[in-house]
Amino acid sequence: MCAIPVSTRLRFVILCALSLSIAVPAVADKVKLDPSNWGHEAGSACVSCHTKASSGLAQQWQDSAHAAAGVNCMDCHRAERAEVDAIEHEGQVIATIVSPKDCGRCHTKEFEEQQGSVHAEAYSIIEDRLPALAHNVGGTAMQAASCDQCHGSRVKVRGDGTLDPATWPNSGIGRINPDGSKGSCSSCHGRHRFSKAQAREPEACVRCHSGPDSPDKEIFEASKHGMIYVAHRDEMNLDAAEWVAGRDYTAAPTCVTCHMGAAGKLPSTHDVGLRNVWSLNTPVSKRQLLVIFEDGRKMELSSDQPAPRRGTEMARADGTIGIVKAVATPERRRQAMSLVCVECHGKGFTEGFMRQFDAVVELYNTKFGEPARTIMAGLYERGLLTPTAFDEPIEFTYWELWHDEGARGRHGASMMSPNHAWWEGMYLVGRNFYARFLPEARAAAGEHADELVEAVLRANGQHAWLDQPDQMSSILGFAPQEAE
Amino acid sequence: MGRLRAPLFITRHVLIALVVGGVGGVLFMAFLIEFDHYTSSNAFCTTCHSMTYADETYRQTVHYDSASGVRASCGDCHVSEGVFAATWDHAVGSKDLFKQLFGPDYDDPVINALHLPEAAFAARKWFKARDSATCMRCHTLEAIQGKRADTAAIHREETDGKSCIDCHYNLVHRKVPDESTFKREAWNRMVEEEFGLEPGTAERLMSAH
Repeated sequence: MCAIPVSTRLRFVILCALSLSIAVPAVADKVKLDPSNWGHEAGSACVSCHTKASSGLAQQWQDSAHAAAGVNCMDCHRAERAEVDAIEHEGQVIATIVSPKDCGRCHTKEFEEQQGSVHAEAYSIIEDRLPALAHNVGGTAMQAASCDQCHGSRVKVRGDGTLDPATWPNSGIGRINPDGSKGSCSSCHGRHRFSKAQAREPEACVRCHSGPDSPDKEIFEASKHGMIYVAHRDEMNLDAAEWVAGRDYTAAPTCVTCHMGAAGKLPSTHDVGLRNVWSLNTPVSKRQLLVIFEDGRKMELSSDQPAPRRGTEMARADGTIGIVKAVATPERRRQAMSLVCVECHGKGFTEGFMRQFDAVVELYNTKFGEPARTIMAGLYERGLLTPTAFDEPIEFTYWELWHDEGARGRHGASMMSPNHAWWEGMYLVGRNFYARFLPEARAAAGEHADELVEAVLRANGQHAWLDQPDQMSSILGFAPQEAE
Repeated sequence: MGRLRAPLFITRHVLIALVVGGVGGVLFMAFLIEFDHYTSSNAFCTTCHSMTYADETYRQTVHYDSASGVRASCGDCHVSEGVFAATWDHAVGSKDLFKQLFGPDYDDPVINALHLPEAAFAARKWFKARDSATCMRCHTLEAIQGKRADTAAIHREETDGKSCIDCHYNLVHRKVPDESTFKREAWNRMVEEEFGLEPGTAERLMSAH
């Protein structure tokens, strides 16, 4: 379908149709159920006791839109006896965990969008890789206290009905819930206050989108977007029922604005990765196809491979087969993101920025990401490194090259923080590559260094400056004439 | 002034029977009291090895170890007050002895853990049927203050129509879910995991008896 040249107008229509099939209408989706669906009769007894027994959470609920609408404790916490994590509590059958599926009883659209998103899959994606780092380099205690806090845990219900403390409490965004649903709405919205405004704040993202591998909060703060957000925060209209950029607020964007929010005619979505062209936290970035299946699930595919056609059966990561319903190409996803930009910027400005961003990702890929990967693959193939991850220093070097410094540089360029793009990012990538990675790779390769390391650099062509050892620069304080 | 005379039917034999019956009755009552007292003690209950598992968890709780030194014995909670009720409870409870002798090998920690939920459900029903009477031997609702800010208010205002056991179960012995949400299969898997047994062993052990 992509091969047919289409007019801009037609392309826009297709984009809108696609967006409608996978996202909510432009205004925040109102719950359409009849209010008789909530207001459980046992709810007032819960409130009466919990106002005393845990007054903090009861008060948060009192202050929430849920309370105002008459949604009580039982409406969210009620459970069926047969449910894995159902417990008896004061005569009622309830579950401690309110999963996205539970929220989806009323917030259907949000639930459907969120399932299959990179947020919902945040634990599934890393589950099999996690032990090599968290358990070997750290220890199992680190998983609950750190990894799972962001990625989510696979919540285990023990035979006595209690939740295994190795997996709970947890509000990681890719949590695998006892009912099988993935994710945690409370990750961004909080538990009992369940605030829209809170989730719209950049602070909602900081718990996880900070630190060496994805310092998105810091990047945002260091960007012009973050600067104007702080300056005009009181004009952000964060509490508004509907929050369409360009209509309900124009002061500044937050994380939600670009990645999830409605803007102009672009609908909002609870699939946070929907508008992302690139994978930025991988050894080599790929432009991604988003495959949407008939059953509502989604899958990211590298656009190196041809886009699957509608109706194709595809194997998914968990082994199940899905039937392709629609495919969002990287171009479509970029168009969606750009629709947010053009609420405040000109089209040429937007395209120019995207070009600058793409150029950094391509530079990282071709100059560092791909050659480093090729060199590592050669070392593993020849048995010059053991297969076990992180038992040799170069494995930490390589890990930090793409996972920390490389990701930081790419994220910095994607969200306009000059310091993160260069000093905290690509500068460190270069320093790591030339001053740590290559020397360690040569040492590991030994007599095969020319074949496994130098040949890769020669073929790459972007490292030719290393062959000119006489180019003195005043940058180190030694002017060229002083060299004579 | 007339002489005080015993009625005519008080013969010597009747007198002897009255004295022997009276003394015998007193002795019998004393025996029952002592018997109930002894058979309510922790020492008696744990003479069966199967009861030592319940004892282990009990010893971790405030019902065993309280700052004031008050200690609730097995019988304080599980045997009714009053000699007749206590005797009745012990008579009914003798079925446990029968099962101990002729039933599954409750001394085996795996068998014990597998059968624990049914024992817990039965105990809860017993408490419920008596409106948690044995709790109230020591605890007086109006006097409950608690350590947290609103414990007193909760017990004052939120307990209408409720019995202690409705809220306070899983207090002393190993945690068992309420019968309404209990899942036998999950319980069996947990026990197998705990004792390092092959999946399915639990069902095999349960059906062996």
